[in-house]
Amino acid sequence: MSRPGPRIVPFGDAALLVELGGGIDIGANRRAHATAAAIRSDAAGPWGRPVPAYDSVLVPYDPLEVDVAAAADRLAGVLAGAGTPVEEEEHEEGSFIEIPVRYGGADGPDLEEVAALHGSTPALVIAIHSGAVYRVFHLGFAPGFSYLASVPAEIVTPRRATPRTRVPAGSVGIAGLQTGVYPVVMPGGWNLIGRTEAVLWDAGRDPPALLRPGAHVRFVPVGG
Amino acid sequence: MFEVVDPGALSTVQDGGRPGHLDLGVPVSGACDTWSLAVANLLLDNPPDAPALEITLAGPVLAVRQTGVIAIAGADLGGEVPEEGRRLAPGSSHRVNAGTHLRFDGARSGLRAYLALPGGIAVASVLDSASTCLLGGFGGIDGRALRAGDQLLAVRGPTAGEAGRRWPAGGPDPLDGAPVRLIPSADPAGLAPGALAAIVDASWIVSTESDRVGVRLSGPAITAAPEAADLVSRGVVPGTMQLPPGGPIILLADGPTVGGYPVAGVVARADLPRVAQARPGAELRFVTVSVAEAQAAWRYQAALLREIARRLEVSGPWDTHV
Repeated sequence: MSRPGPRIVPFGDAALLVELGGGIDIGANRRAHATAAAIRSDAAGPWGRPVPAYDSVLVPYDPLEVDVAAAADRLAGVLAGAGTPVEEEEHEEGSFIEIPVRYGGADGPDLEEVAALHGSTPALVIAIHSGAVYRVFHLGFAPGFSYLASVPAEIVTPRRATPRTRVPAGSVGIAGLQTGVYPVVMPGGWNLIGRTEAVLWDAGRDPPALLRPGAHVRFVPVGG
Repeated sequence: MFEVVDPGALSTVQDGGRPGHLDLGVPVSGACDTWSLAVANLLLDNPPDAPALEITLAGPVLAVRQTGVIAIAGADLGGEVPEEGRRLAPGSSHRVNAGTHLRFDGARSGLRAYLALPGGIAVASVLDSASTCLLGGFGGIDGRALRAGDQLLAVRGPTAGEAGRRWPAGGPDPLDGAPVRLIPSADPAGLAPGALAAIVDASWIVSTESDRVGVRLSGPAITAAPEAADLVSRGVVPGTMQLPPGGPIILLADGPTVGGYPVAGVVARADLPRVAQARPGAELRFVTVSVAEAQAAWRYQAALLREIARRLEVSGPWDTHV
């Protein structure tokens, strides 16, 4: 069965959005990253830095160089020539990026609530969260913030009704199928279950972000 | 050239922005009102996107350590040299004398003023830009807003500019009361039917919770469609009007690179400077335009900037006395 092609729509007057569809889906996400790579390779194009997300790519362009129709035409050509998505290498045991986490207490103020919501215990939530391997789907929202999925169904928890105005850097949160680490102090609505000393973002480091799309991550419980 | 005596409400070093690392989650940053940044810089023959000081609402007090030339553009925040009884009008370049102070005592019109120094403000480039990324804590001066004791140095010699230049009228005017042009989202997922019409029909008030991340708007409740809860994050740009439960927000330079809220539309680039200059309490209205119309407005604005810069003439000292 053939898959419907990507949809290219304008996003304001200086960007196009490539919609692949599929939501949180590895296949869709691989296509998003392959699309972004093809755009970055079109060095003569009017493009800014493309922004791949779960199932889409935002493509900034310079409207002083091309109008929206010409930009969409060129982008369609780039997409048609894009290679098949690169399959990630098989990740063998031990090749994961391990992120040590202190779960619960002041480091994870929502752990008990999450456990209660699922009729579970904090220990079981920790075991489930740290027992899974997560894939980095994309970065965004804040410098180095990485969207990891998928959280096992037993602990899938919606965002908090009222976001916190200040989440400490290193906080490990969950939201729906997603989990991630707040790289810097920022507002946030995810349920916080732990905290890590790992430095997710350092502008002076090369590369500045600890995680990259396609990488696999495990959270490792450590004592307080 | 200057030493900061009082940093003011929020003063940061900003340039044309940092668009090269969006895929790492790094916001564009840079001046919220890029038109006024360009004006301040061009008055000193700087590149239009050179690093300048973005001053918000209530301005700083700066001690002048070296005699030199500056330019101010954007909001009128009541700039003056108190020792000389001299008002420093925006949209012009001025000589400042060592031993005096440069003070901005409060907004008269607009929200953000830009102070340019000859060649730009000398700060290190981080990830290809001098802009301050407040969220990430890098760029500008140690990744933060100005503090008392900070030094502001010019890239060129402090006197390498011409005082008495005045920017002629033209360009985006935050006081003209014209509706903000909004390009409707091509994929209004999560928007309830009639949401866009309700946004355009309403009058909106800029909330006090607005900042460099975004302009929050108070007005009628705009309900989201049930599927809004299922949206996954997608890329967004400055000017994007998102509809979180608390009411519309128009993202500005420090806005996130992706978002999972329904998107009503994107403000035309040409109108973003006016949105960035809207003070808390100001009224905003919206009108929908096509992408082609918005791009025509942007091309006109870019051509206007080039044209004015080209024929910018020295008009002689014109500073008015208080």
